[in-house]
Amino acid sequence: MIEFYHVFKQYVKNQYAISDISLSIEKGEFIFLTGASGAGKSTFLKLIYKDELPSKGQILIDSTNLNLLQDKKLYQLRRNIGIVFQDFKLLTNRTIYENVAIPLVVRNEKKSIINKMVINALTLVGLTHRRNYLPSHVSGGEQQRVAIARAIVGNPKIIIADEPTGNLDTELSINIIKIFERINANGITILIATHDNNLLKLFPRRVLRLDKGMLISDRPSGGSS
Amino acid sequence: MSLIIAAITNSIKSIFRNKVINFLSLGIIAFTLLIFGIFNYISLNIESFTNKFSRNVEAIFYFHENTDRVLINKLITKVENNILVKNVVYKSENQSETNFLMEFPELKHILAEFKESPFPSSIEIVFKDEYIGTKVNSFISEIEKLSIVESKQVNLDWAEKVNKISRFISFIGIFLSGILIFISTFIIFNVIKINIYYRKEEISIFKLVGATDWYIRIPFIVEGVLLGFFGSIFASLILFFILKIAPVYGKSIIELAKGVINFDIIPSSIFIKLILLGTSIGLFSSFFSIKKFLQK
Repeated sequence: MIEFYHVFKQYVKNQYAISDISLSIEKGEFIFLTGASGAGKSTFLKLIYKDELPSKGQILIDSTNLNLLQDKKLYQLRRNIGIVFQDFKLLTNRTIYENVAIPLVVRNEKKSIINKMVINALTLVGLTHRRNYLPSHVSGGEQQRVAIARAIVGNPKIIIADEPTGNLDTELSINIIKIFERINANGITILIATHDNNLLKLFPRRVLRLDKGMLISDRPSGGSS
Repeated sequence: MSLIIAAITNSIKSIFRNKVINFLSLGIIAFTLLIFGIFNYISLNIESFTNKFSRNVEAIFYFHENTDRVLINKLITKVENNILVKNVVYKSENQSETNFLMEFPELKHILAEFKESPFPSSIEIVFKDEYIGTKVNSFISEIEKLSIVESKQVNLDWAEKVNKISRFISFIGIFLSGILIFISTFIIFNVIKINIYYRKEEISIFKLVGATDWYIRIPFIVEGVLLGFFGSIFASLILFFILKIAPVYGKSIIELAKGVINFDIIPSSIFIKLILLGTSIGLFSSFFSIKKFLQK
């Protein structure tokens, strides 16, 4: 469960990237976070995985107050959150298999377990046949699916995706969201930042709309935009 | 354990990924440690050479003519009880004359012209090796001031000079070693810094997927240790070959140094020192580097 209590984030004086947001996201929800560029979507997501700290307010993830979470214990939070970046953040000198395996390798998992879980994740995104390729040898859509596989491989409770369809055409974007739906079916909370209104129409899920750092609407799942 | 193996594997991979910079720095570290090793070897030899010279420091005190033997005996007791003194030998006028005649029998006719022995009575003091220096100096001055003492003859001056040279060489050794250690530390510190920047993206991804701080830090520390360790191994090998080959191919130069440097003995302590030093430099410099450049 993710809870925001009067959260503010300020990078420069008199300008809030996030302004007085209070909300609650239940376990297993599928949420779109939308708004124009600069509305505060990325900052909102960064606050959840503590890449940024709020200037004011409290954020609780599964009852853990992020303000009180020590840096040396940050890894415990991050192991429960899978992150998908718009620019994929794949290591170019490692194969797709090795990229997906990273979250398990850093946990010091056994090779046999890593192999099983990586193959499962790659199967879910339909990329087992590309596992020995380098990221530069596959398409943008496939790279995005690799990033999704890396996010889900460690069985996180929450998946955060920042504009995961930003560089993809409509058909590929729909495919990517369908993958997220399949993951969500396993009870994993999904939070996707997007400015693609077509996706919001096609997938009637809860939508949080931000504008100038403020939460201007919270459309429940199944509602119209 | 598996974390350490993973860290070592990652470090070796990282060294090979950044081949040019890592092998270049390895070469420089080996070179600086080699200079340190050579200097250490030379100063060890010079130290044992100077030690030989500074042993058996003697002082001879000559007494005035007809000095009361009671006073001399008192002085001998005082000297014998002093902690600096190894032994004291008294030589009467006649003993001195006998000794002289034994050494220079051809001068017997000159001595025959004297009614009494022309040699003064004296005491010969041999000092203990470990007390050479200021303490002995002041002790000698103290005796010299006594009214019964006419003059003195000391071989301490030479021993002191040799000692000063030895101290100077030790000082240069420490100074040079300090510089070389600093250079090696600086190199490893910066190589680790470059490696951190080179792997910045990887580090940020590792952090985002839940790697602990130590999981990220340990490979860099291991990298530093490996650079220091292999640098010192190379330095030791080169030093060993230099010391083995030098006496064969550099005869003329070696002849000059032969008296001072003993090429037959290569103490293993030098290599142990080098490896320990190299590894420690690697450990500390990489630790400081990650402390400075691997913050959140």
